[in-house]
Amino acid sequence: MTCRKIHKLIPLAAGDDLRPRQARAVMSHIDACPACRKELADFRRAMGEIRAAAKAERAAEWSSGEWDALMSRVNEAADEARAGEGRKAPGRVLWPRWAAASALGAFLCLIVLSVLFKGPSLRTEGSRNAGRAAVRSEAARQDKVAITMVSPETGLQVVWFLDKNFDWKGDRE
Amino acid sequence: MRMNETEKELITMVLSGRTEAFEPLVTPYRGPLLALATRLTRNREEALEVAQESLLRAFRSLGRFDLSRSFRNWLFQIAANEARDRYRKRTREQAAFKDVAGRAAVAPDPEAGHDREELRTGIMHSLAALSPREREVFVLRDLEDLDIEETSRVLGCSGISVRVNLSSARRKLREAIRRDFPHLEEGR
Repeated sequence: MTCRKIHKLIPLAAGDDLRPRQARAVMSHIDACPACRKELADFRRAMGEIRAAAKAERAAEWSSGEWDALMSRVNEAADEARAGEGRKAPGRVLWPRWAAASALGAFLCLIVLSVLFKGPSLRTEGSRNAGRAAVRSEAARQDKVAITMVSPETGLQVVWFLDKNFDWKGDRE
Repeated sequence: MRMNETEKELITMVLSGRTEAFEPLVTPYRGPLLALATRLTRNREEALEVAQESLLRAFRSLGRFDLSRSFRNWLFQIAANEARDRYRKRTREQAAFKDVAGRAAVAPDPEAGHDREELRTGIMHSLAALSPREREVFVLRDLEDLDIEETSRVLGCSGISVRVNLSSARRKLREAIRRDFPHLEEGR
């Protein structure tokens, strides 16, 4: 490892928070490098100062009134839980928000999927007629129409060709 | 830190409806919880609200507590979440965090020397200047002495994230000391 890499790892090395493999690599470098050794020692000293100063900060305390008020709220919460359903244990909780959000998301997904992938729908008579009219109008745009007649007994096929004015243009067997 | 048998018994009692068992269950942690909240919020009044709300939440959610976990760390997790929620809410309301640091109402220790007091104030200001995640990680790992794994569990993030934020927090604090209190480094 280079000194530059070691310097990046020193904040964690100072608190022995490196993974074992990294820690071994750092220590083997530090054993051989006085500059990095000094940097680690300085960092550890600074961390010691910070910890000592932070821990020496006078700890906040509960006043007896604050604590008693909290315990009263706990008792009220317990009473509410009992009175609410009579069966609800104090530890029971309602569904968390994420569960409600997931359910809503799944419902919306179902709606979107049902819109995107429609199955066969029931058609009314009106819509069927509209479909036929559409086919007719499509046919009207064609220049040539072929009508095929097949004999079920002999299998003979006769194809008539008509133009867009339904004038006969020929046939084929 | 694992749970002891007394805690398990007290939890079982609370869950069976004996609410009076909750107070002896949480009394050993009321000091550490308020201290943690104070370090996270840098404001005594807000810390008290965080601690109170955390204990109420703990009571309501006790049924979900995993008995194989440390009860203290679970309380810390609730408090860290509560403090973070409040911080976000405050940010949304555009109350600048520096103002909060400025009105930090932690009482100074009159017995401490002037230099140490100055150092403490400077460090506390630097702590307030860390990002919320950096501050949480630093407080839990370096001041509450949780290890990396416990810290990651409490904060609900990966060990990598804890290490990254811890490294960043320590580096920033060290730079702050170097900048504001150069004699501490030079004098040694």
